[in-house]
Amino acid sequence: MSIFEYNGSAIVAMAGKECVAIGSDLRFGVQLQTLATDYKKIYKIHDQLFLGLAGLGTDAETLSQRFAFKHNLYRLREERDIKPSAFGQMVSATLYERRFGPYFCQPVIAGLEPDGTPYLCGMDSIGAQETAKDFMVAGTATDSLLGICESLWRPDLGPEELFETVSQALLSGQDRDCLAGWGAVVYVITKDKVIARTLKGRMD
Amino acid sequence: MAQAGGFSFDLCKRNEFLEARGMKGPGFTKTGTTIAGVIFKDGVVLGADTRSTAGTTVADKNCEKIHYIAPNIYCCGAGTAADTENVTGMVASQLELHRYATGTQSRVITAMTLLKSHLFRYQGHVSAALVLGGVDFRGPHLFTVYPHGSTDSLPFCTMGSGSLNAMAVFEAGYKDDMSKEEAMELVARAIRSGVMNDLGSGSNVDLCIISKEGVEYKRNHEYLQGKTYERQFPQRFAAGSVPVVRERVYDIRKAVTVVEGEPMEMES
Amino acid sequence: MIVIPAYNPIASHYSFSLTTFSPSGKLVQIEYALAAVAAGATSLGIRATNGVVLATEKKLPSILVDESAVQKISLLTPNVGMTYSGMGPDSRVLVRKARKSGQVYYRQLHEQIPVAQLCRETAAVMQEFTQSGGVRPFGVSLLMAGYDDNGPQLYQIDPSGSYFAWKASAIGKNMVNAKTFLEKRYSEDMELEDAIHTALLTLKEGFEGELSGDNIEVAVVGEDRKFRVLTPAEVTDYLAEVE
Repeated sequence: MSIFEYNGSAIVAMAGKECVAIGSDLRFGVQLQTLATDYKKIYKIHDQLFLGLAGLGTDAETLSQRFAFKHNLYRLREERDIKPSAFGQMVSATLYERRFGPYFCQPVIAGLEPDGTPYLCGMDSIGAQETAKDFMVAGTATDSLLGICESLWRPDLGPEELFETVSQALLSGQDRDCLAGWGAVVYVITKDKVIARTLKGRMD
Repeated sequence: MAQAGGFSFDLCKRNEFLEARGMKGPGFTKTGTTIAGVIFKDGVVLGADTRSTAGTTVADKNCEKIHYIAPNIYCCGAGTAADTENVTGMVASQLELHRYATGTQSRVITAMTLLKSHLFRYQGHVSAALVLGGVDFRGPHLFTVYPHGSTDSLPFCTMGSGSLNAMAVFEAGYKDDMSKEEAMELVARAIRSGVMNDLGSGSNVDLCIISKEGVEYKRNHEYLQGKTYERQFPQRFAAGSVPVVRERVYDIRKAVTVVEGEPMEMES
Repeated sequence: MIVIPAYNPIASHYSFSLTTFSPSGKLVQIEYALAAVAAGATSLGIRATNGVVLATEKKLPSILVDESAVQKISLLTPNVGMTYSGMGPDSRVLVRKARKSGQVYYRQLHEQIPVAQLCRETAAVMQEFTQSGGVRPFGVSLLMAGYDDNGPQLYQIDPSGSYFAWKASAIGKNMVNAKTFLEKRYSEDMELEDAIHTALLTLKEGFEGELSGDNIEVAVVGEDRKFRVLTPAEVTDYLAEVE
């Protein structure tokens, strides 16, 4: 078994017109045993920037704390919020530092740049960045998520349509993964508000 | 932002332990890759495909494999994506400092030496296979750098899983002292042969032409693989198509007013 | 930083700082460092609405020294540069460290380091040398100029490690007169070309002899965010304009 499949996760992010959405499933398990059904894998960095961490739960927890710490220091030093693109590089550099003993995490970053354009990027566990204009997925449900996203995504979706599309993709994708599921949470980020919605999903 | 450089090995013990308990380590994003370069009459043409893979899945359909090294030097990377990205970035950084210190243009052979000494130090564990090309005061140069740190200097070279396909094209079509257009066509054809015949390579052709006059970076010089299928009736979801259990809306408009203040007393 | 234990018989001799307080609360080593700055060739900088100009005297001890080989204004990152008054060798240490900071920042965030951050990093190095064992403070004041998302900026850093943003400032031998001159000539809506002229006029005030493209150095950074040291020929042209 791969270490990425120890806890199970499904993360998807999509870009719309002047908005982005990022969502994850809610299951936390140890191999085939489900321990919690309210475990979000999305972390807020600041109002316009969210980070999803798929993979080994313990490492995700550690990493999320390290990035919160790094961003706090950045904000104290520079008196501004970090740009999503700069944050992406920061995550990448942090992961590559452990090139020969990596954190078992795959990050997905979704945010809005200061000019309001969406920014999406994903990475492998040693920080090989991959920027996308459309969508980004990670976790144990990657294979099923990629296909559905490829089919459902359209350019220039508004915040409401984007929410429906991400949610449909996430719920369909995780239904074909034993290790992810039990509902989902989706964040839609726009210039002046963040909408967080919890979704009902299959519970098997 | 003072911090110690270099790699951190603090998780190696734990990861080794996990592996011993039957937990397979992660796979990394690779660039299956066809990369190639030729020397022509007044410069170098570098070329690359744009597919990156995770196992057999296409991770990125349009990634960038031609990396900046210096204003007159670029480098194509194959192998583990994170390694190619970082090794070229580190060398670019070192060369910039070197240019500041010497006030001269960077030499391709300097870049090549920095790359090979880094790769040799890590004994092949930093798995980057590179095609390095550029023009300096001595003229055009082209090198291949292997993951263990050995190098070749040739008038035409290829790397990556599609290197055989690309090399076949070069062997058949290479001539000395080609024009820029001939060289671009030859490299594009070599990369295309990788894209079509090697499963690890795919999507589009990027080219980078370096001559004494400057650099032309032709991103998606040939856009070969767009989406062939567009939905005739795209799926549209009505609002409320998914069951929402809970909704929270956070207003994040910045409610800040700026007021004039008294300047703080300062002494130096 | 390498910490050498105090009981090390060889190192213990150097393990305290030479910069210690006098009974009146002054750090005389820093005051001596400032004296070294005040004895150095004059440098000045002016922040205009659309850029910054740095200018410095390039006075050499003998006419036999090759002027073209001496460089007093250095590029730190593509959009930031600096000059100094005081001890040349000391400034080169700071230039090297500042350039390295710029690269570390870029590797970490893929953005050019903001001028304020580069200034803070460099000032931190200078502060460290007022408190560490076995070292002395830097005998230089720096003028750092750059252009970033916050627009054109000019900073002055002193040997103590204190730094301020300035609209225009001067350091070195003729700093008092030069600052008075700048106070009279400076205006808020000054553009880069005017600022270059003002910089040359200010330098001319306290200069012994005739200004030329070879005995001063001028650099600019404008809205293109490219810090550039002007060639002697360009300086000569500007000098002709202010005649």
